[in-house]
Amino acid sequence: MYQYLEEELDQLRTRIIKMGSLVEEQIELAFKSLYEQNLELANIVIERDDKVDKYDVKIDKQCQRIFALTQPVAIDLRLIMSAMNINNDLERMGDIAVNIAERTLNFIGYQDLLERIQLPEMTKKVQAIVKGAIDSFVNNDAQMAAEIIKLDRVIDKAYEDIFERLIHEMTENKNLIKPCSHAITLLRNIERLADHSTNIAEDVIFLVDAKIIKHRKDIDSAEDSPTV
Amino acid sequence: MKLIKIQVENLNLYYGKVHALKNISLGLEPNKVTALMGPSGCGKSTFLRTLNRMNDLIDSCRIEGDIEIDSENIYSKDVDVVALRKKVGMIFQKSNPFPKSIYDNISYGPRINGVTKKSELDEIVEISCVKAALWNEVKDRLNESAIGLSGGQQQRVCIARALAVNPEILLMDEPASALDPIATAKIEELIFELKNSITIIIVTHNLQQAARVSDKCAFFLSGEVVEFNSTRKMFTKPEDERTQRYITGKFG
Repeated sequence: MYQYLEEELDQLRTRIIKMGSLVEEQIELAFKSLYEQNLELANIVIERDDKVDKYDVKIDKQCQRIFALTQPVAIDLRLIMSAMNINNDLERMGDIAVNIAERTLNFIGYQDLLERIQLPEMTKKVQAIVKGAIDSFVNNDAQMAAEIIKLDRVIDKAYEDIFERLIHEMTENKNLIKPCSHAITLLRNIERLADHSTNIAEDVIFLVDAKIIKHRKDIDSAEDSPTV
Repeated sequence: MKLIKIQVENLNLYYGKVHALKNISLGLEPNKVTALMGPSGCGKSTFLRTLNRMNDLIDSCRIEGDIEIDSENIYSKDVDVVALRKKVGMIFQKSNPFPKSIYDNISYGPRINGVTKKSELDEIVEISCVKAALWNEVKDRLNESAIGLSGGQQQRVCIARALAVNPEILLMDEPASALDPIATAKIEELIFELKNSITIIIVTHNLQQAARVSDKCAFFLSGEVVEFNSTRKMFTKPEDERTQRYITGKFG
């Protein structure tokens, strides 16, 4: 029985890591397609989302099976709860990668606009946050996760700055209203990637330290998990 | 300050040369369910039996340290052990009704304690059966043999029998381990009801049962208490690595 649980938990962990790696790659390719105006890459991202969705369903089923058959507690329980949440976030991040890839077409000929509003800089920071969140799960590293959560503030600030720049661009040149409108959606998508990464980091802290820190600004005063 | 019903201080117990319980100190609160868990042979049943001096019946057993119930040392020389066992009732793994009628089983304790009036005994039997969630099943067959009842019903007869002498503490040594899931659920619901008026200490090998029914848990290992904590804490974030390994099945 316990060996069965061990095997299930190992497999669950491995699946989350593989899914995380796939989603990270999807995001990377989506940005590459956007900034290099490469529609072929965009299509690869769109087609591969099916693979992300398959992981999502497999992980959901596996968590359900483990709950039903083994009644996990303590660290095992926290792993499954975290896996369910992380799975959900990764699946959403996969969808966002598809949304970004689908917008590639809208920015053909407008690369200078993206440069002017400094979107590539924000993109790099978000990619680092995505990687850091997934790495914190792979390494069971709550400290690393806590750092990632703090970085989200930087992204929020970048979001506001770029939003202002877009308003400025539209005010200055009415011909840019359409690409700037697309860029606002794109900006929102990129910011959401950081939010989902923060959620993953919060789950890593719950997994490692049994602390629930979501919706809290001060992660150091977070409570221990309160219920069975 | 927390109220303490049973205070155990530096308890050591030896079976001959075997040191079965080592330096145990615990404060058990009134009207709470405390679960004792741990692998076979870790001392949890031995500890349970020290609380109503059942180990006195074993010749080679020697006890050091103090156990106080309501601030009275139960091992002092002037303690009436019969009165102690009336106050601290016990339910065993295997139900052990007397080969008598249901009525006689439950009225046995009050009778030997001097209650003779039929109306009084009737009332005690009914109240005890209601408390043991048994009344509706046996009210029309009180004169039938308790041995003819199902396993779960027999166990509840034993609980009703223990309740008939108004104990303040109930010791339960794996009370549901021989029962099917439905009978087990009834015993667990009963434990939940009884704790309103009684302090319950339960030994169980079933970790999920400990999680479901208890307020506090003590994890025993090789005669020592490794961790004594709230059940919520024990099953979400145990403090000792050995507890974590035990409850997640990685022990050994």
